[in-house]
Amino acid sequence: MWNRTIQLTALLTLCALTGSATAGNGKIVIKCGRVITQAGPDIENGVIVIEEGRIVSIGKDVKTAWDAEVLDHPELVAFPGFVEAHSIRGMDRPNENIEIAPFLDVRDSIDPINFYFEDVLRQGITTINVQQGPMCVIGGQGRVVKPVGLTVDEMTVRSSIGLKIVAGARPGRSRATQAQALRKAFGDLQMYLEKLVQDKKDGKDYARREALFQGRDMDKDENKTGREMEGVAPWKVADFKIVPRGEVDDKQEPLLRLVEGKLMAFVYCDSGVAVNNALAMARAHGFLANTVLVLDGDAWKAADAIAEAGVPVVLGPAQMYVERDPITGKEIETFVPRVFFDKKIRFALQSLNSTAQSLWFQAAQCIGQGIDRKAALDAVTRTPAEILRLGKRVGALEAGKDGNVVLFNGDPISVKSTVQYVVIEGNLVYDRSKDSRARQLLQGIEQANAAPEAVEEAVDPHSGKKAAEEKKSGSEKKD
Amino acid sequence: MIKWFVCSLAIALPCAAQGTPEAKPEAKAWVIYADRVYTGTGTDFEAGMVAVGNGKIATVSPSRGSDDDSSDRVLRCFAVTPGLIDASVRITNGSTSVEQSDEIQPGLRVATSLDPFSIAWDRQVRNGVTTVLVSAPDQNVIGGLSVVLKTAGAESIAARTVKNDAVLRGSMGTQPSQGNHPAFGRPTDFYSRRPTTRMGVEWAWRKAFYDAAASAADPKRAFNGSDRLIAALKGDLTVSIQAWATQDIRTAVFLKEEIESQDEFKNGLNKPRFFLDAAAEAWKEPQLLVRSKIPVVLPPFPAQGRTRDNAFMAWNTAEELRKQGVPFALSSHGSESPEDALALQAGYAMMGGLPFESALAAVTTIPARLMGVADRVGTLEVGKDADLVLWNGAPFEPSSRVIAVIVDGVMRYDARPKESAK
Repeated sequence: MWNRTIQLTALLTLCALTGSATAGNGKIVIKCGRVITQAGPDIENGVIVIEEGRIVSIGKDVKTAWDAEVLDHPELVAFPGFVEAHSIRGMDRPNENIEIAPFLDVRDSIDPINFYFEDVLRQGITTINVQQGPMCVIGGQGRVVKPVGLTVDEMTVRSSIGLKIVAGARPGRSRATQAQALRKAFGDLQMYLEKLVQDKKDGKDYARREALFQGRDMDKDENKTGREMEGVAPWKVADFKIVPRGEVDDKQEPLLRLVEGKLMAFVYCDSGVAVNNALAMARAHGFLANTVLVLDGDAWKAADAIAEAGVPVVLGPAQMYVERDPITGKEIETFVPRVFFDKKIRFALQSLNSTAQSLWFQAAQCIGQGIDRKAALDAVTRTPAEILRLGKRVGALEAGKDGNVVLFNGDPISVKSTVQYVVIEGNLVYDRSKDSRARQLLQGIEQANAAPEAVEEAVDPHSGKKAAEEKKSGSEKKD
Repeated sequence: MIKWFVCSLAIALPCAAQGTPEAKPEAKAWVIYADRVYTGTGTDFEAGMVAVGNGKIATVSPSRGSDDDSSDRVLRCFAVTPGLIDASVRITNGSTSVEQSDEIQPGLRVATSLDPFSIAWDRQVRNGVTTVLVSAPDQNVIGGLSVVLKTAGAESIAARTVKNDAVLRGSMGTQPSQGNHPAFGRPTDFYSRRPTTRMGVEWAWRKAFYDAAASAADPKRAFNGSDRLIAALKGDLTVSIQAWATQDIRTAVFLKEEIESQDEFKNGLNKPRFFLDAAAEAWKEPQLLVRSKIPVVLPPFPAQGRTRDNAFMAWNTAEELRKQGVPFALSSHGSESPEDALALQAGYAMMGGLPFESALAAVTTIPARLMGVADRVGTLEVGKDADLVLWNGAPFEPSSRVIAVIVDGVMRYDARPKESAK
């Protein structure tokens, strides 16, 4: 019952929140006390002009259109929307039972009214890379979305960005089984492609008939013609040109695209060993340059191997790794982002959006651990944007980029600041004053029987001062 | 008998292993210079100094110190606060520490079941917590006597004790009855005991106090721990009651008011002192708590608002209680999860609007007062225990962290950046 209510309210709230997103014209002028651009120095009393969803100008004195909606808040601080480099939330369910399923797409699983997408707005996250969960060998294709829109297509920033691959062990399986399953997947791909070529040479047309049976339009140019295998994989299938691309089965085609360097790989590694397996696999099949490692557990211990391979990483939300010294029994703490910062490896932070420890919190913790402020903020804005190949669109506030702006009532990483407004692609999509659920979470439910006079009589228990001067004038107590 | 043997073995073995001469950290005379000295007394210093000697605070004064004083007894940091105090900690053997023989156990001492070698103490120290009130798990209606301990020191519970039998601990709500079932119709087992419902829990509380009052008049009616209950009724022993939801908070308040007004408790047995632990819904009816002078300890802030017993705890709970005049402490409620750390709770309370000074008080002076140890810990004042936390930024902000912790004058955690640690 409770769940039902939540879902219903989520739907209603989201409709309310997103109403303006679909209705807006993507034209807005934001004036605020300070703009943290993440693309250069901060701008005091800055103005951001957004038209058709893109920032057209930003600075102190810029021309503004007469018909634009104006958000004028000199008390607020503008910040680029946070970019979540990897998330397994927001889907109907994150994990798929089929082990090798590159043909799946999170498009079919993302739920636009999932509470998650409403909640990330409160935390100022405007771009999310949604990927399948880690209970697979090769998962489906993820996509980058913004947390607003009534359909997945409306939400999409970039579709089919990459495949989820799991190099670590899954529960109930050994690491060896997983490594073997991965090797087999690519071995199968190679054998399959060779068979396609051989069949074509033998004059068999099973593949074509199967493609037609699956309803593929074989007259389209990209399906009709063949071409040699591209990419930098050490292995190539000879004479692949003779196979029209449309004849490659849907089940194998995304893997072929990965090997040809046209998809990214988000490789989940739960340990240092898994990192080695992941890097070896990426090298063996030519997608090292498109690999992002999603790290968990003690995978940070393979930092040197990661540095050598030059791949970027997405770090888990548990930033402090604690292990027990086997001899002294004492706990040893390692602050994982610091390891990557010190080794100059590009890293993005990941929050799983635990409400209290969202990306702003993750960045703040980094600063406490001696990572400089710029690098810490980059790890939740610019770096994930670059890792997702969206560096030209999101992650900073400058002309030409998407109009994704978050307005805080203070320093974005202070515990005392909260998100007041979120603008995504020029549309005001979040307004804290209208966020009834945040109000409830923040202020509780108003009680009919709460005695208002108690406030006046109250003494601050911690300072000992009276909240209000005691009334001396005569109204006597009536019992 | 066997238990005793195992117990003493457990204590004796690590002691034997300790034979190797490991350098014990010495109580040093420290001089700490900080850009902010938060004393907790109402007088804070921008650029101040705290000197420590013999495990006590020797000086607190505004002083910048000279930069060339680089002896290893000089510590520099951005901020220094008193050691944090958690009034709700359960570093025990967990559910195996629940005494099943009776739901009313006012005579049990949790101190006897604690393990001074547990890694959990180190975790507390790393989070800046230096003093804790350790209570029994809440599966009993009245679980026993809690103990106030330092989180670091000699490896014996006795040596770390600040106050024995500090608080009598019990619980309202569903937890004491959870898992229990009536014996009728099924095999008698571990859990066939009372109470089995929320009302049963309330009944057990009232019966305990009425029985104790009767035993005060007639010594023949004394029972195990009845003297502790009498002490509680006289106000000599504070009672800590876990009560998450409004209905349980009301039950506790009305229990206190009943004791204060009923004839059975005349002759000085009508002065109980309560505080409520895990009072997530205290914000709903704060006037009740003000009326009956009951302070509260808050559980960790829940990300989505819901806590145990389906209680709703809003993020401005702490600020609301401050405005309404209810003294409150923040706590980790025995959780060892990193996001429930006490310092973070203070930050979360500030997120809900609580001023810094009150947040600091809620993790230092207020819990010290609740446990009755305010004369020793909770503030930076000359003569108090030298329990200090050094921060590299504004305390409780996620962008700063604990860089050193001193307990009784001894540096127990040192994570200062290497370049300045020398």
